[in-house]
Amino acid sequence: MQTYAPILDIQAVSKRYDSLQALNNLSFTVQPGEIFALLGPNGAGKTTLIGCITGLISRFEGSISVAGYDVKSASQITRQLIGFVPQELNFDGFFTTREVLHFQGGFYNVKPDNQKIEKILDDFGLLEKADVNTRQLSGGMKRRLMICKALLHDPVLLFLDEPTAGVDVELRDELWSYIENLKAQGVTIFLTTHYLEEAEKLADRIGIINKGKLLMIEDREAILNQFGRRWNLITTRNPVSDRFKTAMQSCPITYPEANQIKLSSPELDDCGDHSLANLQTVLDELKADNNEIIHIDGGRSSLESIFKEIVSADSQDSAML
Amino acid sequence: MNYSEKAQQRIEAAIIEAQKNRAWYGTFMLFKREMMRFISIFGQTVISPVLSTLLFFLVFGYSLGGSIDNIQGVEYIDFIVPGLVMMSVITNAYFNSAFSFFIGKVHGTIVDLLASPISSFQILLAFSASSIIRGCLTGGLIWLIAGLMGANTLHNPALSILFMVLACFVFGLLGLAMAILATEFEHVNFIPSFVMMPLTFLGGVFYSITLLPEPWQTISHINPVLYIISGIREGMIGISDVPYWQGLLILFVSSAGLLAYTYYLLHSGKKLRE
Repeated sequence: MQTYAPILDIQAVSKRYDSLQALNNLSFTVQPGEIFALLGPNGAGKTTLIGCITGLISRFEGSISVAGYDVKSASQITRQLIGFVPQELNFDGFFTTREVLHFQGGFYNVKPDNQKIEKILDDFGLLEKADVNTRQLSGGMKRRLMICKALLHDPVLLFLDEPTAGVDVELRDELWSYIENLKAQGVTIFLTTHYLEEAEKLADRIGIINKGKLLMIEDREAILNQFGRRWNLITTRNPVSDRFKTAMQSCPITYPEANQIKLSSPELDDCGDHSLANLQTVLDELKADNNEIIHIDGGRSSLESIFKEIVSADSQDSAML
Repeated sequence: MNYSEKAQQRIEAAIIEAQKNRAWYGTFMLFKREMMRFISIFGQTVISPVLSTLLFFLVFGYSLGGSIDNIQGVEYIDFIVPGLVMMSVITNAYFNSAFSFFIGKVHGTIVDLLASPISSFQILLAFSASSIIRGCLTGGLIWLIAGLMGANTLHNPALSILFMVLACFVFGLLGLAMAILATEFEHVNFIPSFVMMPLTFLGGVFYSITLLPEPWQTISHINPVLYIISGIREGMIGISDVPYWQGLLILFVSSAGLLAYTYYLLHSGKKLRE
C-alpha cells in the first residue's frame, strides 16, 4: 500500500504556562484518512495541543505542520485546511442559525450557498431551526451547529475536541456514524475524548497523553493486543480445593471467592495465545476434584481499563521522581 | 480506492484552493457580520445615542443657550453641534469594536474567528471599518437633525467628515485594543467612563477654552480631545480654539500608534492566543 506524507506533523512541541508544563516535547504524526484519538485525563494537554495546531495558541516551542505547511508561517493555508469543533459550547446570540453559517462559511471563502447550508443543517437535524436565533437552541442543538460550522468549508483535517461531551445518546450515535461517513469521504479526523468507548469504536490509532507527555501512540488493535487481557471467571458448586490451588500455581489465577476461579492472560504473548491452554488445564483439574462448574463468564479488558492502567502507572512514576 | 488515497486526493485539491484564498472575502464577511450586528439592534446602537445627544442639544442649545452670548461671532446653538457630533462619534466607534470583540470572548465565538484564515491585519480592518460606519452614522444623523432644526454647520463639510472618519478609526482601534486586553466588562467600560467622557466634556464641547481663566486655559491644551473637537468645529462652523491641522496631526499620529499596537496584540497573540 502506498504511504503518503503525514497530514499532521508535530515535532518537539512544548508549551509552558508559568510553572505548568502543559505540553512536554510531543512528537508524532497523523496520516491522511485516519481517525486519530488523543486520550488523556482532564488537564493532560489535549486542548492545548489542539490550540497550538489550530492557531488559538500562537506561542509554543517546536514545529507543527499541516499537509506540509507550517502552522505559524503559513497559517492562512493551514487554517483553511482545518475544521475545528471546540470543547466549550459557543453561540452568537445576535444571529439566526442560517446567518451564523453564512458568516462562518464566508470566513473560509465559501460564497453564500443556501442549498449547501440547508443540506448540512438537514444532516444534523437543524433544518427546522434554520431561521431561529441561536439563543433559542438547546445545548445539543448548539453542539450540532458547532459541528456544522466546522464542516461548511469542507476541511481535510477535522478536530473534534470532546465532541460528545454533554450530548444525548441519540446525537452521540448520529455523530459517530457521521464521523465514519466523513472518513469514507477522505476527511482525516483528530479526536479528543473522555469516552473511551468512543475511541474504541472509531479510532484507527490512539495516543495517550498525561501531564503534557505522550505516553503511547499505537494502532487501536495493537494497544488492545499488547495491553489487553482476556479473562474467564469460573464459579464452582464447591469451594476450590487446596490440591487444585497447588496444581495450578504456575497459572495466572486468582480466587475472588472461595468457589470462584479467575483466569486472566495477555491477549497474545511471544508464544501465541495461552489462555485456551490454561482454561483447559483448569477444567481438567476441576474434573479431577469432582467439582462441578455452575457458571462460566469471560471477556477482554476494555480500552478504558488499559487507559486507566497506563495513566495510573505514569502518575505513580511521576510521584516517585 | 482506500481511505488514505481518497484523503490524499482531497488534501491536494484543498491545498490548491487554500493557496488561492487570501481571505479578503472572509474579511468582507467579517465586516458584514459586524455591520449586521449593530443593525440588528439599531434602536440600541444608533437611535438611542442619537436621541440622548439631541437632548443635550435641546437643553444646552435651546433652553440655556438663549442666555449665552455668541461665541466668536457664532450662535451658541451652532457652536455646540460639532462637539456633540464628535462626542457621539467617538463613543459609538469605541463601543462598536470593544463590545463586539469582547462579547465574542465571553461567549467563546472568538474562537471561530481566531481559527479562521482571516489574518490579524484583516481582522483589524474589518472591525475598524464597522466602527467607522457606526460612528459616522450616529454622528451624521445628529448633524443632519441639528441642521433640520436650523443649525448652520456646513462651513467645510469635507473637513468635518475627515475628522469624523479619523476619530472613528482611532477610537474603534482603541476599543478593539481594550477588548483584547480586557478580562471583564468593567475593563471595557473603564476608558469611556473615566477617560473619554471627562476629556470630551473638558475638551470644549459646550464652551470655548478662550473663556477659561488661566491656568485652566493652558492646562486644557494637554487634552487631545480638545484638538479633535476644535478640528471638526473648524469644519462645521469655521472657528476653532486651536489650528485644525494640529487636530489632524494628533489623529494621524494616534491612528498610526494604535494601528501598530492593536496589530501587535492581535498578531503576537498576547492576551488572546494563549
